[in-house]
Amino acid sequence: MATLIRSNRSRGVKNSLAKWLITLGGISVLFTLVLIFMYLLYVVKPIFESAKIESTVKVSLDLKNDEKILGTGVDELQELAYQITSSGNIDFYHLKASDPKGSNQFAVGDSSLSAYLLTSDDFNQDKITRVVNSFSANKLLHTITGKTLLIQPSFYAKYANDSREIIPQVNYPLGHDSLTIDEEQSPFSQLGFAMDDERIVFVGFTQDKRLVKTTFIAEDDFSSSSDGDDVEYETIFQQIELPTGSVDEIKVTPDLGLAFVRSASTVYVYSLNDDEEVSLKATITPTLHNDDTYLTSMALLSGSSSVLLGDSSGRISQWFEVATESGREFKQIRSFETNDSNNKKVSNAITAIYTEQYRKSFYTMTDSGMVNVFYTTSSAHLWQGQLVSSQPEAFAIAPRANGLIVIGHDESNKNQKVLQAFSVHNEHPEVTWQALWQEVWYEGYPEPDYIWQSTSGSDDFEGKFSLVPISFGTIKAALYAMLFAVPIALTAAIYTAYFMTPGMRKKVKPTIEMMEALPTVILGFLAGLWLAPLMEEYLPAIFLLFIFLPLSTLITAFAWYNLPNNLKDKLPETLAPLLLIPVMILATYAAFSLSGVLELTLFNGDMRQYLTNDLGINFDQRNALVVGIAMGFAVIPTIFSMAEDAIFSVPGHLTSGSLALGATQWQTLIGVVLLTASPGIFSAVMMGLGRAVGETMIVLMATGNTPILDWSIFQGMRTLAANIAVEMPESEVGSSHYRILFLAAFVLFIFTFIFNTAAEFVRQRLREKYSSM
Amino acid sequence: MISISPKALTPGSDTSFEQKLDLTNLTPEQVALDINKLNLFYGKKQALNNITMSIPKGQVTAFIGPSGCGKSTLLRSINRMNDLVDNCHITGEIILHGNNIYDKHVDVAELRRKVGMVFQRPNPFPKTIYENVVYGLRIMGENNRRRLDDAAEKSLRSAALWNEVKDRLHESALGLSGGQQQRLVIARAIAIQPEVLLLDEPTSALDPISTLTIEELINDLKKQFTVVIVTHNMQQAARVSDQTAFMYMGDLIEYSDTNTLFTTPMKKKTEDYITGRYG
Repeated sequence: MATLIRSNRSRGVKNSLAKWLITLGGISVLFTLVLIFMYLLYVVKPIFESAKIESTVKVSLDLKNDEKILGTGVDELQELAYQITSSGNIDFYHLKASDPKGSNQFAVGDSSLSAYLLTSDDFNQDKITRVVNSFSANKLLHTITGKTLLIQPSFYAKYANDSREIIPQVNYPLGHDSLTIDEEQSPFSQLGFAMDDERIVFVGFTQDKRLVKTTFIAEDDFSSSSDGDDVEYETIFQQIELPTGSVDEIKVTPDLGLAFVRSASTVYVYSLNDDEEVSLKATITPTLHNDDTYLTSMALLSGSSSVLLGDSSGRISQWFEVATESGREFKQIRSFETNDSNNKKVSNAITAIYTEQYRKSFYTMTDSGMVNVFYTTSSAHLWQGQLVSSQPEAFAIAPRANGLIVIGHDESNKNQKVLQAFSVHNEHPEVTWQALWQEVWYEGYPEPDYIWQSTSGSDDFEGKFSLVPISFGTIKAALYAMLFAVPIALTAAIYTAYFMTPGMRKKVKPTIEMMEALPTVILGFLAGLWLAPLMEEYLPAIFLLFIFLPLSTLITAFAWYNLPNNLKDKLPETLAPLLLIPVMILATYAAFSLSGVLELTLFNGDMRQYLTNDLGINFDQRNALVVGIAMGFAVIPTIFSMAEDAIFSVPGHLTSGSLALGATQWQTLIGVVLLTASPGIFSAVMMGLGRAVGETMIVLMATGNTPILDWSIFQGMRTLAANIAVEMPESEVGSSHYRILFLAAFVLFIFTFIFNTAAEFVRQRLREKYSSM
Repeated sequence: MISISPKALTPGSDTSFEQKLDLTNLTPEQVALDINKLNLFYGKKQALNNITMSIPKGQVTAFIGPSGCGKSTLLRSINRMNDLVDNCHITGEIILHGNNIYDKHVDVAELRRKVGMVFQRPNPFPKTIYENVVYGLRIMGENNRRRLDDAAEKSLRSAALWNEVKDRLHESALGLSGGQQQRLVIARAIAIQPEVLLLDEPTSALDPISTLTIEELINDLKKQFTVVIVTHNMQQAARVSDQTAFMYMGDLIEYSDTNTLFTTPMKKKTEDYITGRYG
């Protein structure tokens, strides 16, 4: 008895151990899957969050009574903010307390540096009336008497005692003296400018109502010295004809190419490229809500192609040049409504539009201090709210677009002016569901389109993140592969399972299954470097093969069938199919040798040229045909193996039943065998499709990776998987691009998930129908 | 006393009922099939040894014998189902309508239309009841809906299944019980109007009630068809058949009318088998 009990106990222990191990294994598989899923979602989630703006620092300003704030700004790290006052002072304030170890101790709000800017005798205690910003850090100061000075507040970091301190300084790129912008020295009522290393272009409207363009052309370049007293430059003065007598705003694009001059509700666009003559390029007259509506503000969007126009009803429209049948024209691309609350007493008029330096975000301001934040490409309305109670005197966006500096009246004490810093969390404004999946009208494109173009050389590039072309590419590649693989794999499976002698089957099946172990990188490599050029050279041969190979097979089979038996008996039945090998080699040889002849007679000597020139079909060397064949090759073993198993496992008594009713082998195959094996065949095809969708190496190497939307067999494509493989190494961690690649991975996951679920669902249904045999 | 020709292996029987046929001297009108010196080999192993017998028309003939005696093999060689077995090799002949079915020019599919077969396990196709019954007609190219409907009803009635399934003809055949499935398979086999119906242990996978139904059905079927049945159940053979052949180790030991074989067998082996000494 004792032994019996002991053995029972050890068996029990083994049982429960096995049970726990198996449970653990199963749960950890599920857990891992969920974890992958969650991680993808975790990385993707921030791109769908809207913007957040939070107040961080408030500094009370000490100003004389009549002193006005004309400009403000902040350094990249948001440690120092500055203000430019009407009396000609620039004051820097600390936004962060000093490091206790630092050599220089200061608290939040302490003034760091104050300087008087109008030091030259030219200015003679003048008052500044206007500060003109450009996309660079340069600021143009204009005084009552029509004097002008270019300054550049800048910052550098100093490291002392292991701590960093930001030191402000003011550069004078063109020296401390007043600049001569108008030949006649008349003060400007409006002024716009832009500069690069070699040129500065000013466009101004003088108080005596002349529109002038002035160009400074550097002898060397403007950035050669920080203190520009010795910079030499040539000046060109030009008059611009203006169809109207008043000007409200002037903007010059950073590439110095265009000037936008707004007069009431009309915007005149001048081309500045010609140093001889300034020509009117276009006139923009937006359609407004009603007669009472008028334009109130204008701003240039980063990248110097778009102009934004705000009107008195609170609507902003975006305009850029588009190629049309009658040449390039400015068109309204989209508009944004600030859709203010129902408060009718407050004016919705857009008093100012502030744009970010590198991205397509912009902030709009109203009299009441209502701020709206938009992103143009994605048409996203990111934020709406009140930062200060009325329109601020000065407003600046931090260089990294992660902060704001607003100078206005304190809410509690109206006479006290305060400088407020805000932090902005708006990392991924360019991504919305709409921008990912719908047509978007990108800058410079003639119409809305689906484009994937994630990076470019310039900083102010408009990222084009449409997932449509790459999802399409995935499906296209998979479909062409299936088109090639399914007929071959299924007919091979039927032949092997149903007609082949058992001895032959034993050799053939493992051989084809071994093909599955072939690394796909080799297939991709062969497809890209050998098959694609070969196909390009012998294009007619490839199409001939699609006819010749099946035809020669059928002819051989027919001939064999009609061969006298005594001849047939000489070759064992097992080896009979081997007869096809020389036939197929011969057919291939024939196709390739006919290729040249065919090209000469039918395609004027070169089929590729013929396709492109005569039929207007673009031909890529790496195209869907190459991918179809190469990836088809990779999925054939998957489909073959599963379909063969399904067909082979059709119960013999069903086949016998059909044959006993006088059905031929063929009728039995169609009427009973394929019907019964259909769940298995279906899931084989679905597994193949799943594999084709997720396949990376072959598509990476053989598709050309062109993200285009085109079903043509001669065009390439880019798939989700290849896109991730190509771009992930070069995308900045945490950037929108990086997160969108994760989203692409998520979409791929969903794709395969849908295919597999559909396959499993249909298979279950079919199995239920055909199972109980 | 009926004289026995030297050609026959069986010594015949000494009973003299009027209905009884002289199995060795049948007129051509009475014969459905003539099996003549049939030898069958699976590779090198011989499974049937020189079998010669005549199967009379419109009667039920049963093959009995212990497992592996070759009774199923003999049955399957009547409609050449053995062709599907690898390494199967046959000599001798089986004459149907004056033609050897093993002749080169014989269309096997055509032969199987004339010689239908029902297997041990019910094997309905994964289709509807209706489609199962008309399957044989469809593969012959019959697509006329009315003719198919008529044939389906007639066959199902003949197979005594009509009343049970007439309201669900278009439901899956796999939803039927085993006995119903077997009758459906019989209906399917008789829908194409064969001359001979081969039943290979048709009730061995069924319960007693279903078995009884099938046995009654066989009795009805012989009015229209020649029935050959293989069974390992001697009581069944005794109940349903007119003639019984006892086979042992590939040999046809004794072939006579059922009554005689079960009451006064001529051979010791037959007697041992029917009295339960082996089997």
